Amino acid sequence: MATQAESSKSFFSSPSTETPIIKLEGITKRFPGVIALDNINLEIHRGKVHALLGENGAGKSTLVKILYGIYTPDGGRIYIDGRPVKIAGPMDAIRLGIVMVSQSPVIIDRLTVEENIVLGLEKLNMFAPIRRIREKINEVSKTVGVKIDPSTEVWKLSYTQKQLVEIVRGLLLGARVLLLDEAITYLPLEEKKKFYKFIRQFADEGGTVILITHKIPEAMDVADLITVLRRGRVVGTVPVKGTSIEEIRKMMFGEKSSEITYERLPLGSPSETILEINDLWVRGDFGDYAVKGANLKVRRGEVVGIAGVAGNGQKELIQAVMRLRPVEKGKIIYDNIDITNKTTHYLRLNGVGYIPDLPAKYGVSIENNILENIAIIPTFSKEIINWKHIKSLAYKLIREFEIKTPSPETPVKFLSGGNIMKVLVSRELTAATKLLVAYNPTRALDEATAIRVRKIIKSKVINENVAALIASEDLDEIFQISDTIVVMNSGKIVGVFPADKAKREEVEHLMVM
Amino acid sequence: MIEAIIALLAGMSSVFLAYYLAALGHAIVEKSGILNLAIDGIFVLSIAVAYAEAVYTNNNILASLLLTAIVAALFGILLAFLVTKFPISHGAAGLSMMFLGYGLASLVGLPARNLQGSIKGLEIGYTIDINNPVWIAVYIIIILIGLGALFFINKTKIGAAIRAAGEDPAAAEALGVNVLMVRLFAGALGFALIGLGGAVFELAYVQVWSEGTGMGHGWLAFAISLSAGRHPLLLILSSSVFAGLVKYMTTIQAMYNIPTDLAKMLPFVAAILAMVIFMATPLRRRLAPPKSLGKIYFREERTV
Repeated sequence: MATQAESSKSFFSSPSTETPIIKLEGITKRFPGVIALDNINLEIHRGKVHALLGENGAGKSTLVKILYGIYTPDGGRIYIDGRPVKIAGPMDAIRLGIVMVSQSPVIIDRLTVEENIVLGLEKLNMFAPIRRIREKINEVSKTVGVKIDPSTEVWKLSYTQKQLVEIVRGLLLGARVLLLDEAITYLPLEEKKKFYKFIRQFADEGGTVILITHKIPEAMDVADLITVLRRGRVVGTVPVKGTSIEEIRKMMFGEKSSEITYERLPLGSPSETILEINDLWVRGDFGDYAVKGANLKVRRGEVVGIAGVAGNGQKELIQAVMRLRPVEKGKIIYDNIDITNKTTHYLRLNGVGYIPDLPAKYGVSIENNILENIAIIPTFSKEIINWKHIKSLAYKLIREFEIKTPSPETPVKFLSGGNIMKVLVSRELTAATKLLVAYNPTRALDEATAIRVRKIIKSKVINENVAALIASEDLDEIFQISDTIVVMNSGKIVGVFPADKAKREEVEHLMVM
Repeated sequence: MIEAIIALLAGMSSVFLAYYLAALGHAIVEKSGILNLAIDGIFVLSIAVAYAEAVYTNNNILASLLLTAIVAALFGILLAFLVTKFPISHGAAGLSMMFLGYGLASLVGLPARNLQGSIKGLEIGYTIDINNPVWIAVYIIIILIGLGALFFINKTKIGAAIRAAGEDPAAAEALGVNVLMVRLFAGALGFALIGLGGAVFELAYVQVWSEGTGMGHGWLAFAISLSAGRHPLLLILSSSVFAGLVKYMTTIQAMYNIPTDLAKMLPFVAAILAMVIFMATPLRRRLAPPKSLGKIYFREERTV
């Protein structure tokens, strides 16, 4: 590690004498029980695309949230253009020309595009009619190359369009610095390329981009500089030219870096059908159909991966299977029994494990501790809870999945996002004796852990003859883990491929068709 | 026939206005994400304040309306501050404030009633009925307020900010909304309207006061607001139904020979029915409640 530290030092002592647009000095942020950022020093320069890389809990997101005023640091100073500033809220950040675009678009579904944009616009007074900015939005949209009607409610937009709205918003607010927090990680390649072009252009015109990602190739593709964070500290900063994926990987993971591979995991040997979906129709959150006549079969001993851009009905399909969303039409058959009218509880008692999207919201109860979060699942406890049994199970999971927690009695909200995910994944893998249903099962995990989780899922599928239905926005994941790849687009299943015959270009094409 | 309908409309105009104002105020408070369980207490308190001020000022209606709106608005600001600044349960804060409202109502109302009793011939209130053409103005005012509120909520920046704070306060904050300020504003405005509703209820409808006057009617406003999906124009419809029921309860009772106790329950049964109908139909999704209604919003907490 010493060599990297050296190289970063030598980089910063080199020519650049201009004042950095952002300079962080000794930034520290603690959350109860953890130090998220420990004395961060960092300089960001004008006209550069600067990537922040790091595994989960490294502090990337916390750092950008501090820059955007969502968190206030416990210690340290922020300089913008050489002047010390205090960023007490997003409005302060926006005034300084800093705008954030995040992974799950931080815009409000029930508001229209223009309403979302106007909220940060100080030039318009509070009681002014919103339609006054419509012209302006259309103008800026054109420069980014998007066509979105400003009076559309956001929920009607696709995931990509939402991200574009955020970019348009940023530009309209006069952004000089764009903070992209995993904003492009899950876009299909075609869309990604468009974004890369836009980012490059923005930087060439004097803008600054801070790109947060856990995918090294993404950082290599678009950034000028990469800073690696680890456990709340800066490991080093390197120029992209003259470094390699392997080198960055070592900075991020140290010894574990050799475990990272995107090779397809060994194929399973499918046997009898355990889950069958016939002509399924399900409504989305806003009353319209999100799933429009889907047919699907999942056999024991195989992983069926649903590929698709976010918001194409995967979430609703998964929730309908788990009986968390009413079925309007069609049938779901599990283990030879029609479960269309059965409850989630029934599935839980019959060997189904479930990893939902947004785990901190829907997967665990964050106010409760790890033990309680395990005990709540009917698979593990009857009416009277055997705490001794739960505790030994908890210790086993903490050990096997390397969950970083002071104790099993720690409330889950004090853990980092990645560790919360580990609590959930380990619990659900234990619960799934016949079928695992999952949505983005490794979303919040770093590469090394994500790959480990995929391997564990796959070996469980193969060795214990379990079936898995996994929807993921991460195409790397789909290709690595699946035996059968199903492509979903606009609520319909538009392609089914055996994994060994699936072509990436073809799948991506069907996703965005 | 037409005369009968006109008499009917004129007769219920005051209680209609009272419910409409309170329900609209409640809708605005809840649009900003604050679960308002204080409504009944503050409604009852507003009635007492309006009554007392009218007694003390020798039936100065304007002063009474104004003071009541201000008092109620202060409670709105307090509730909004408590549940936005601190991680406090909206339910606990709201219900505590409800009981506070009941208590304060007695404290404010009793001395005023003693005073009224000692002054011969002091009557308070302003009667709006078939003999007072103001009743027509009441209907026009309600429609104007409805249209104004619709524009305010859906077409202005502050309206969008209020809805944003109710849908997802964390996202709203990131978009540049000062959630605390917006909720303080929505709380003040909404509760001022609830207060005005209470004042109209007292001054134009009940016109006397005893301990507990108006209790339960705040909850009716709550139900009116919910069953209209907090939509300013649909609220006109649902408030008129409830106003009619409450006003003509005794008439209905006599017509169908229903026992008094049962008849008194009628508006509340209707309230439950209206809410069930609302929840069981597609209206539920069209006019969905604010996504973060009643959820604790605490800025400094780590979120994933």
